[in-house]
Amino acid sequence: MSATAPGDSGRSGVIGLPASLLVGGAIIAMWVLLALFADLVAPYSPIAQDVPSALQPPSLDHLLGTDNYGRDILSRIIFGARIDLQIGLFGVLFPFLIGNIIGLVAGYFGGLIDTVLMRILEVTIAFPFFVLVIAIISILGPGLISLYIALALVGWVSYARLTRSQVLILKNSDFVGAARVLGYGNGRIMLRHLLPNVISTSVVFAMTDMVLVILLGASLSYLGLGAQPPAAEWGVMIAEGQQFLSTAWWVCLFPGLAIVLLALGLSMAADGLAHVLGTKE
Amino acid sequence: MGRFKFVLYRPLQTIPVLIGVSIITFVLVRSIPGDPVRVLLGPRAKPSIIAAVREQYGLDEPLVVQYFYFIYNLLHGEMGRSIIYRVPVLDVIAERLVPTLFLLSYALLLTVALALALAIVAARNQRRLPDHLVRMFCTAGLGLPAFWLGIVLIMVFSVGLGWFPVSGYGDGFWGHLHHLFLPALTIAVALAPVLTRNLRATLIDQMEAGYVQTARARGMSERALFYRHVLPNSLVPTVNLLGVAFSWLIGGTVVVETVFSIPGMGQLMVSSIFSRDYLLVQGVTLVFALGIILTNFIVDVVNVALDPRIDP
Amino acid sequence: MTGEPILSVRDLTVQFDSGDGWRSVVEDVSFTLNKGEVLGIVGESGSGKTVTSRALIRLLPDRVSRIAGGCVDFEGRDVIAMSESALEDIRGGKIGMIFQNPTTHLDPVMRIGQQIAAGLMLHLGLRSRAARARTIELLDEVGFRDPERQVDAFPHELSGGMRQRAMIAGALSCNPSILIADEPTTALDVTVQAQIIELLRTLGRQRGLSIIFISHDLGLVADFCQRMVVMERGRIVEAGAVDDVIARPQHPYTIRLLHSQPGLTAPGSYFDLDGETKSRNETRPAPQGDATYLAIDRLAVAFSRKRSLGEILTRKPVRDLAAVDGVSLNLTRGEALGLVGESGSGKSTLARSVVGLVTPKSGEIQLDGKSLGKPGERQRGPWHRQIQMIFQDPVSSLNPKMTVGETLAEPLSVHRLCPPADVKDRVLGLMTEVGLEHDLLNRKPHQLSGGQCQRVGIARALSVEPEFLIADEPTSALDVTIQAQIINLLMRLRESRGLTMLFISHDLTVVRHLCQRIAVMQHGRLVETGSAEEIFDNPRQDYTRKLLAAIPRVARAR
Repeated sequence: MSATAPGDSGRSGVIGLPASLLVGGAIIAMWVLLALFADLVAPYSPIAQDVPSALQPPSLDHLLGTDNYGRDILSRIIFGARIDLQIGLFGVLFPFLIGNIIGLVAGYFGGLIDTVLMRILEVTIAFPFFVLVIAIISILGPGLISLYIALALVGWVSYARLTRSQVLILKNSDFVGAARVLGYGNGRIMLRHLLPNVISTSVVFAMTDMVLVILLGASLSYLGLGAQPPAAEWGVMIAEGQQFLSTAWWVCLFPGLAIVLLALGLSMAADGLAHVLGTKE
Repeated sequence: MGRFKFVLYRPLQTIPVLIGVSIITFVLVRSIPGDPVRVLLGPRAKPSIIAAVREQYGLDEPLVVQYFYFIYNLLHGEMGRSIIYRVPVLDVIAERLVPTLFLLSYALLLTVALALALAIVAARNQRRLPDHLVRMFCTAGLGLPAFWLGIVLIMVFSVGLGWFPVSGYGDGFWGHLHHLFLPALTIAVALAPVLTRNLRATLIDQMEAGYVQTARARGMSERALFYRHVLPNSLVPTVNLLGVAFSWLIGGTVVVETVFSIPGMGQLMVSSIFSRDYLLVQGVTLVFALGIILTNFIVDVVNVALDPRIDP
Repeated sequence: MTGEPILSVRDLTVQFDSGDGWRSVVEDVSFTLNKGEVLGIVGESGSGKTVTSRALIRLLPDRVSRIAGGCVDFEGRDVIAMSESALEDIRGGKIGMIFQNPTTHLDPVMRIGQQIAAGLMLHLGLRSRAARARTIELLDEVGFRDPERQVDAFPHELSGGMRQRAMIAGALSCNPSILIADEPTTALDVTVQAQIIELLRTLGRQRGLSIIFISHDLGLVADFCQRMVVMERGRIVEAGAVDDVIARPQHPYTIRLLHSQPGLTAPGSYFDLDGETKSRNETRPAPQGDATYLAIDRLAVAFSRKRSLGEILTRKPVRDLAAVDGVSLNLTRGEALGLVGESGSGKSTLARSVVGLVTPKSGEIQLDGKSLGKPGERQRGPWHRQIQMIFQDPVSSLNPKMTVGETLAEPLSVHRLCPPADVKDRVLGLMTEVGLEHDLLNRKPHQLSGGQCQRVGIARALSVEPEFLIADEPTSALDVTIQAQIINLLMRLRESRGLTMLFISHDLTVVRHLCQRIAVMQHGRLVETGSAEEIFDNPRQDYTRKLLAAIPRVARAR
């Protein structure tokens, strides 16, 4: 890995990592730092109302303007990163764990477990993902906990399907055959031989999935089903700003750009990661 | 054609899925805490109606029996009454179905046109500027929240330029076409990146396929190669992808209908959740699921028509 | 029989983008093709033979490759400098080309007739009706039995051999004067290979074609071609009349190539490779007694297919695929038995059911007098230490995430074959035994060559000290010089460890080299069993005779 290759713009010469991974990673790191140190970084409180200075356009006092309660939009975006990153993390973590375990076991052993899994899978994908999630939230009541439960109930299916399909191919491969002929136990074959070979695809998928989950969380919050006002969540902010669209464009615009920037970082990192994991092993 | 006989019996294969779907929708509504009748009929329901509904849904019986009552009613086109609209759920849905179908087809058309055009441009100019631009669009577009994009489009084209209405469904075909353009475009732009990326990869795969090399070695021009061999061979994966995308498309309409205040099923679902009109939520969920099952069936038929290797 | 030059290549250099600059894959290659002759280009993987053949009509991928120098002179014009449209006239019109894999090189969603007719309409300006009529004639010429009907077939409805015939019909449809054939039989079974070569020979003679025949198989080239060039690492190292090159090879590489041919070295003796042991005769250990070591009794394996709802409703008859159909076979301790058959003969399935990777439908397998039982019941048992297997694809038979050291240490620690402190020494000992440098210890499979991977696979099998080794086509994914090394290694191991061996291959000459006894399989059944001499000198069955007849002349020399 050395100099930049002609015609391959995705590779950086710095430390042999793709440029997309470096840029994406930097964007993610920026958001994580902002979220961790929001109290120090944000110029104002995210919830303090200041009605006299409501709906002010961007200025030196309020770099991104203020909303209808006079709250500083920049500060709300910085604090909002806490909620949106949390949505991305927990919204992916549980489906990732559940789905990979089930996919690995069902793919390896086949039989009844696998048949049951496939039935559940067929039924789940017969519902539009988004519709099923909000249907579950409607039962559990709006809020982020309901969102995590709904995602854990529905989201694991994609991971299980992905891992299962890879396990099905790999379990017939010669190196697994060799492991069986050498008399290794099922646990060893699954954990030592199959898992390391299927997990990287799952991790890359999780990165892309995180983008979708963050968008989903923001959309639900926008609809009033996710984070609840006055929480400084980006989707909530956009929903609150929509009524002032014709007079105060900044209220809606900047929270949306925040989502786009975070999502861009994640999808660039996912691209780069796929590149690294795909070629190096 | 003998290969298409499966159209007659394949619907039978969806029965297990249909049963699963009905169980999930049934369980969804039954897991609401509290007395279902009170919840489903609202606090102001008359005692006589409450008794009638208890009877109709067998609510005093065990859960399994209740499920069969549910199925029985379902097969008779009976999904209960909406507490807000005070008419049968099915009537409310029927009224909202048309705008949603219009928006779905409109969005599907724009999505396919956009994705196909971008993917073809990218694949035919691989590793050149147009390709890089398309790939940038794919990476950036993946993270565009549809609801925000809709708002931005309203900001620019409705509030700013005044080209399109801010909300609503419009009157007549051309009215719908005009009113729904921004909503459909919103969905298309949000969905196109994933489709484009997949389609581009498929096209590039096919361009390197052996039979393309054979045709090239027989003196066929690059253009002819692309349209006679590469594109036909990319159709099957594309149609499969569209089948999957249909599920996202429906998700997109739910949000976008709310942003643009379109009187469709998605908006109905969201408003029903807030008014605790659970039977309506159940009905919409079920209809959306049926839509997906139907789409998958159509995808199967189209695939058999496109690929002689598939033996149904 | 050869006339004046029809195509001459001078100083051809082709470069590929390696990621950090252009690297020459073909360098200063020059040769001429004479009218009416068959010219062979021989080389192993990475020799540049395929790239050379593609460069002749500029079929190389844009942007990642370039022709950096030289010219290809055809009918007084330089193909390299030609305009794109002039090139399109030559491709298919004057120079036809056929490829290695007819399955991937025919459009799966287009009828074969349409694919052939497309060229006729393009180059000869035929209307669709005339093109179809001509296509039917062509299909007839290349040996289709029912061309009127088969013209409308899709590629997947034809066998591999018929697909290759269709591809030949397409390449010859516009009466080109040159045919470039790039490994046209490599993806085919040996008996089909013989038919395709025969067809090419006939067509070449009838049409006065000049043929460039690219192959890794020296024997095949010697059989089919009048002149040959030998390529190694992008350069031509030797050229001349086939008989001269084979009788008096000049370049060390050609000599090594010849010494690696199983048919040219006496059976049972080591291949004479640089740095390897000199050839000896009769090195194989004699079978230790007549006691049956492995007994396979009426073994049957069937792959049952789940019936779909459609098949149940339409009462479509569903046949279980009989992979192995009642095979009985015995091995005595210390012997090496060769199992030969073409694809689909069930030879691999038989081997896999012996090691428990496949569940037999019926029949019994006994090892050393003890029944191995059903695979489910023998998840773990002493037999793992007794039987081991090496696989066809050396790269995919190793866990891509594990280093050589980890792969070899794992069986030692799982079966507690030595104290943890000694594991590393044992691993290094195994590596030495199979001829692997110790500094490969921390490499992963993708950092190794195919031959090295196969050595790791062999070392892994030996780690548990087995008595019985099953080798399932262990060399068919390897180049012939590497194959010779691996066979040398296997012979040496048999000698030093007294291994009993079941060696599976599609290649009779390889089996003959390594085994005293040969069993021939076809369609899941055992066709014939006998000593190597009996099978070669006195075959009793037609099928065995067919297999023998398909062996190229050179390889049959001894």
